Amino acid sequence: MSANLSSHLADLAVVGWAQTPMVRHTDKTETQLLMDVITDALEPLHLTRADIDYTCLGSCDYITGQAFSFVSNLDAIGAWPPKRDSHVEMDGAWALYEAWLRLAEGDIEIAVVTGSGRSSTGDPALIYPMEMDPYFLAPLGADPLTFAALQARAAIASGIADERSMADVAVRSRGKGDVEALLQEDYLREPLRRHDVPPITDGAAAMVLATGDRARQMVERPAYITGFDHRTECHNPSFRALDDSPSTRLAAQAAGLGDGPVEVAELQAAFTHEELLLRKVLDLGDDVVVNPSGGALRANPIMATGLCRIGYAADHIFGGGNRALAHATSGPCLQQNLICILEGRS
Amino acid sequence: MTRFVESTIKFPYKRSLGPVMGAFMSALTERRILGIRCNGSVLVPPMEWDPATGAELPHEFVEVGPVGTVESWTWVPVPSEQHPLDRPFAFAFIRLDGASTPLFHAVDAGSPSGLQVGDRVAPRWRGTRTGRIDDIICLVAGEDPETSGEDTGAAVEPVTSMDYLASITYRNPVPEAADRSAAASREHRLLGLRCPVCDRVYAGGRGYCPIDAIELGPECELDLTTKGTITNFVVVTPVQYPGQTETEPFVRAFVLLDGSHVIVPYSPVIELAADQVRVGLRVEAVWASPAEELDESGGMGGSWGSLVGWIPTGEPAIDDPDLVNRIF
Amino acid sequence: MSTSPVAVIGVGQTHHKSRRLDVSFGGLVREAVFRALDDAHLTMADIDAVVLGKAPDIFEGVMKPELYLSDALGAVGKPMFRVHTAGSVGGTTAIVAASHVQAGKHRTVLAVAFEKQSEGNAQFALGSGKGASLGAGGAFAPFIRAYIQRSGAPEHIGWKVAVKDRLNALKNPYAHLKIEDISIEKVKSSPMMWEPIRFLESCPSSDGACAVVIADEAGGLAAAADGRPPAWILGTSSRSEPPSFPGRDPVRPAAALQCAADVYAQAGITDPRRQVDMAELYVPFSWLEPIWLEAFGFADEGEGWKLVDEGATELEGRLPINASGGVLSSNPIGASGLLRFAEAANQVRGAAGEHQVDGAKVAIGMAYGANNQYFSTWAVGSSRRPEWEG
Repeated sequence: MSANLSSHLADLAVVGWAQTPMVRHTDKTETQLLMDVITDALEPLHLTRADIDYTCLGSCDYITGQAFSFVSNLDAIGAWPPKRDSHVEMDGAWALYEAWLRLAEGDIEIAVVTGSGRSSTGDPALIYPMEMDPYFLAPLGADPLTFAALQARAAIASGIADERSMADVAVRSRGKGDVEALLQEDYLREPLRRHDVPPITDGAAAMVLATGDRARQMVERPAYITGFDHRTECHNPSFRALDDSPSTRLAAQAAGLGDGPVEVAELQAAFTHEELLLRKVLDLGDDVVVNPSGGALRANPIMATGLCRIGYAADHIFGGGNRALAHATSGPCLQQNLICILEGRS
Repeated sequence: MTRFVESTIKFPYKRSLGPVMGAFMSALTERRILGIRCNGSVLVPPMEWDPATGAELPHEFVEVGPVGTVESWTWVPVPSEQHPLDRPFAFAFIRLDGASTPLFHAVDAGSPSGLQVGDRVAPRWRGTRTGRIDDIICLVAGEDPETSGEDTGAAVEPVTSMDYLASITYRNPVPEAADRSAAASREHRLLGLRCPVCDRVYAGGRGYCPIDAIELGPECELDLTTKGTITNFVVVTPVQYPGQTETEPFVRAFVLLDGSHVIVPYSPVIELAADQVRVGLRVEAVWASPAEELDESGGMGGSWGSLVGWIPTGEPAIDDPDLVNRIF
Repeated sequence: MSTSPVAVIGVGQTHHKSRRLDVSFGGLVREAVFRALDDAHLTMADIDAVVLGKAPDIFEGVMKPELYLSDALGAVGKPMFRVHTAGSVGGTTAIVAASHVQAGKHRTVLAVAFEKQSEGNAQFALGSGKGASLGAGGAFAPFIRAYIQRSGAPEHIGWKVAVKDRLNALKNPYAHLKIEDISIEKVKSSPMMWEPIRFLESCPSSDGACAVVIADEAGGLAAAADGRPPAWILGTSSRSEPPSFPGRDPVRPAAALQCAADVYAQAGITDPRRQVDMAELYVPFSWLEPIWLEAFGFADEGEGWKLVDEGATELEGRLPINASGGVLSSNPIGASGLLRFAEAANQVRGAAGEHQVDGAKVAIGMAYGANNQYFSTWAVGSSRRPEWEG
């Protein structure tokens, strides 16, 4: 037990999750993706939609290109009779956070959360400037690749990363490629090359959270959430030290990361240097397996990428592991960071 | 094979600036750059609040630059349509002289080999400035600011707002059920999908049941009647705004199809004055001719395809007090 | 709820106007935040976490504005959370903020909601910039036609609500619409916009923000001990139902009925007609008042309009509704729900000023969104465990 959680918060567990195939282009709508993935998350637990007490969906209108795009996603829940429900314009990892707080109120037992995004719908270079400072940055078309490159420069200048170690991350994450060859490629945004950059991915994920008692009935080894926190930083990267991630550090402290060793860390590092920076900020030793899933460099379903990290960390617990860390992020240059600690109990 | 449709969405916005950004943007039209004092440092760009604590900052402006030093940069080999330059350039953090924080902007450096951290750069001003961050087109090497084109001078009045236009093209899949529904409409058929679990029937090409949350494939299809009864309606007096195509009051009616519980929502009523539309009115479907469909004139479009709307059949109206409740 | 009581200890809002051209949107939000903090005798440093709500990002053209507003809201180094549940979002924002405290995660949380509609064009954005849309009135008018026909309500009911809320707004210094000469005659002669909805039976489009400080039991007791009565949160619920399927009734939505039942059960309210002293209901078009009076158990089915007709929902009536002037008088969409929740809290704190309902001890705040699908509601009281009379 860690992070001084209240008794209700300390006895909630992830019992299962599912993700759609992660592809460059899906021919399914977001609602169809969610319909599939919620079913896939429930069936192995012998649950139906009628068993769900609470849902929280995470998605983004600007990814879909439609105001109130999440409203039709209600169709995927089977919200009839109506459900206790919420929606966050954030990654599904934050939807899980809201569900975690809600279940701790003690009156309900099972929540389903989702993250969904079809990032193939539009050009990220044109969509993402809209999340930047609307007066000083958005009018310049300030795109995420540019800010990632500037943060990579800062990490390199501080000795946290270099182009070779970044290429190492890419090769390890994707399980393919040759570092020497990759380093011969042209820059997309110096110092970033194509291998340092995430793919465009369509996909969705769904996760089932339950109170301890229900969790123990459903699965042999629930992944208990023993620490969960998220923190933000000021927005404009001009005012931040980009070779650090203080919000990650604060969230990790509040989640009790230091209370014991973790075996696995799933980090939402869409760019190679972000993994190296996060490893340093989180003080992860060489004995910690980072992103065994391949991370966001292998599949980056926007609005679900963070929730998938928690899913893979839960998989480690389901498979007999003792303690795992999951990280999610939002905003330019790791502006906002979330840490979730999952543990098994004998 | 799934079909995809592209739609370009243009978003025009007018942003009010408030006192701090208003002062900054006004100064830009005078080819001056302002920072603001914050705990002994000078923030550029200036903020209304301390970025660390959120505390309100007193309006103590400090003129900085306009010349500065490149602190970091990255090369943009292929500019986007939103970028300030249409040829390869650098995005950089530039510490203007007198500032404590770097300004993010473009540097026109020719090639990546033409730029180094520590380089001195100066603004290239737009000749006609409106009080936007891109009144500075970019920065260029050296100590000497430039002005591109004829200088039309500073803004006469203080700048209080800025325009912002975003244009994004989205490409979304058309569900197969929607395409099949549209295809049936070209044969003047209305296609329904029956959920095998709850028996509810849905029209309009929605390929799933929202109650049971299951997909409904072609095996669930059935033909619906193309006659029905108006259950409810709204007469809309159009408000003018960008993109509004209607100028006169128009009706959107809800039609309950005969022999089913299926409602066709928000449908045009043809050849009937708005004030003649009534609950209980008997109507039948009107279809676009293939030529009309090609130029996309009228009709409900989308998965309703060639269904243009509804026309009175002339049959006696139905008097059922429960009809009006059939909206969905 | 099995959790310990939590309370509203600070409320703030902006002056709502069609165009707040004097402020940036950060500046707009901060006006409400500082008023709420001042009201709570706190500073930004005392806040543990911030929850932000607003309607579609497309309204202002800033995607995920919780990112840009993190520092404006004093959230640096803290959790910054963003909720979006269509028109009910302001209410959900308060509920999620309360949940942060009820779960035992934080002690003091700031809920903030805003809309700066003048930056863009809401009608335009509802069509996602793709051209013509019916507007919210066009979507809701059929529901209203159905209500009128099945209840047999006379047409002047809609006019009466429109007049009542605008009269109340004259007593609220923050309200957007101030129609000094509002009258039945004026409402019924205003243009028909979405038959059967007339122009003056419709909400305005506003720029505005609202903020609420929610504290744990100790924080609520400390405020009370300092002579600043808190509003104790007696129950919360958010419920949703799918957009359209045969059999769905938008006039008496199941999600609304369940939302009310959840909150009444948590609060121990068994007879809302006697035990609730006032309610702030989300009424963007006048006819929604009788519709929600029925769905929330203040009147039998088909009888809500009679409460309106007899004047029961007026400020001096036995169940005042929207003493603040409601959404019909101020409508910064994303904030409109939080304003309902905040005004309900102010009533039981005795802090509503000129539009105070005498002796209000238990109040309801309610918001809804989309096609009568998303509902959020809370009950607040002047004490932690109200003792019902009679």
